Amino acid sequence: MVDYFAIGLTHLLMALAAWRLVLRGDLDREDAPAPEEPGA
Amino acid sequence: MLDLALASFVVGLLALGLKRPFIWVLAYLYVDIVAPQKISYFLLASIPLSLVVFCAAFGGWLVADDKTDSRFTLRQGLLAVLLAYCAVTTLFADFPVEAAEKWGWVWKALVFAIFLPLTLRTRLRLEAAVLFMVLAAGSIVITGGIKTIVSGGGYNALHFFVQDNTGLYEGSIISCVAIAIVPLIFWLARHGTIFPRDWQVRTFALALVFACLLIPVGTQARTGLLCIALLGVLSLRSAKNRFVYLGALVLALLVAVPFLPKSFTDRMQTIENHQADQSASTRLAVWAWTLDYAKDHPFGGGFDSFRSNKLVIETRDAETSGNTTAVETSTITDQGRAFHSSYFEMLGEQGWPGLALWLWLQASGLWQMERLRARWRKRAAAPGAGPEAQWQAPLASALQQAQLIYLLGSAFVGIAYQPFILMLIGLQCGLWSYLKRGDTVPRRPAVVIPVAAP
Repeated sequence: MVDYFAIGLTHLLMALAAWRLVLRGDLDREDAPAPEEPGA
Repeated sequence: MLDLALASFVVGLLALGLKRPFIWVLAYLYVDIVAPQKISYFLLASIPLSLVVFCAAFGGWLVADDKTDSRFTLRQGLLAVLLAYCAVTTLFADFPVEAAEKWGWVWKALVFAIFLPLTLRTRLRLEAAVLFMVLAAGSIVITGGIKTIVSGGGYNALHFFVQDNTGLYEGSIISCVAIAIVPLIFWLARHGTIFPRDWQVRTFALALVFACLLIPVGTQARTGLLCIALLGVLSLRSAKNRFVYLGALVLALLVAVPFLPKSFTDRMQTIENHQADQSASTRLAVWAWTLDYAKDHPFGGGFDSFRSNKLVIETRDAETSGNTTAVETSTITDQGRAFHSSYFEMLGEQGWPGLALWLWLQASGLWQMERLRARWRKRAAAPGAGPEAQWQAPLASALQQAQLIYLLGSAFVGIAYQPFILMLIGLQCGLWSYLKRGDTVPRRPAVVIPVAAP
């Protein structure tokens, strides 16, 4: 049960991070339009 | 069910890589740390996952990535020389079969550490790599942390979801790595841009740090306790208000100690009376043997050269009651004991040149991070410095602290080629090269001071 929770939580966060990264232009080029600073 | 979920996660990552090939590099970090093919029973276990993802990461970089900003740094050169040197010692190894087996994973870890910095061309990529390493290691750490709270753990009793003592799934290794990533977790919580820096991220980060601190309790690896102590000292350096911090530290310690399981405090007390402890005595005996061995084999005996050792160990157990001390001595013979220290692992396997290369690689990392830290702290404090100049010094500092914790832990555990640590070195090379590149392009127009003609 604990294993499933730990795997589930971290994998969900990694999936979400990967998704957000794909949408950001500055992943590949820094001269791309800068994203809004989240939470800043 | 778990099989299917893990497989779809990996497939999803690989699919996202079609749009941004850098995701494949992150996928490799994930696969190498978590080893989902070992958790899985059939789907992922049936394909050479690590190889497939590495080919995707390397191929993606080769074909689709912009390479104008990629630089080959001195430390990547050191890694390459170490790789070549290890290849030669493997050919002439004392135990060719065992050496070939270890070479089988060491070369991959070294090649990836050489390759990783070439892909870390942007700030976001550096952050993404740190995030994936922390979350991937987090999947093991969170399990361990919760199980420690529930059961109290025990030496070799904490079960992770992979039971084969490889990679990060070994008690002493995860104890050291879990503490080493704590500074990186704090950096992500303070300077991350992938997730919003809100209360949710802060709560998760704090919970993850707590889980990290519980790992040495759960695995009862004494090395981990030393690592925590070093982490405490190191964080004093970056603390804003040292006295408040020190007070909080002492308070936390006073609160925590009564909650520690008795088996843990008992085991930790053996640090003091190490002569009575077979594991510590064996270590000292193996290290003495290695020094002798290096006299006859200055160029090392190849991987797993410890297999030829035969040790006679004397343990002394002193028990004091009143004013009499009874000393009980017993002799144990042992053979084929592992090095139990990365420094001696390097010396015994790769000889003095190998040890020198490895030390150079480590020392240059500490020095580079120190320089970056000093330079960027100054820039961050300069008038007019914007938010874009604030993340560099803390990242260099976190990478340096992680490495120092590793260097302490590795004195007692043979983890000289631990892939996770080699990735950290890759990150350092990437950061060094990224910030150096920025320096060659003037950020603002240079101020020209008119000099009067003579």
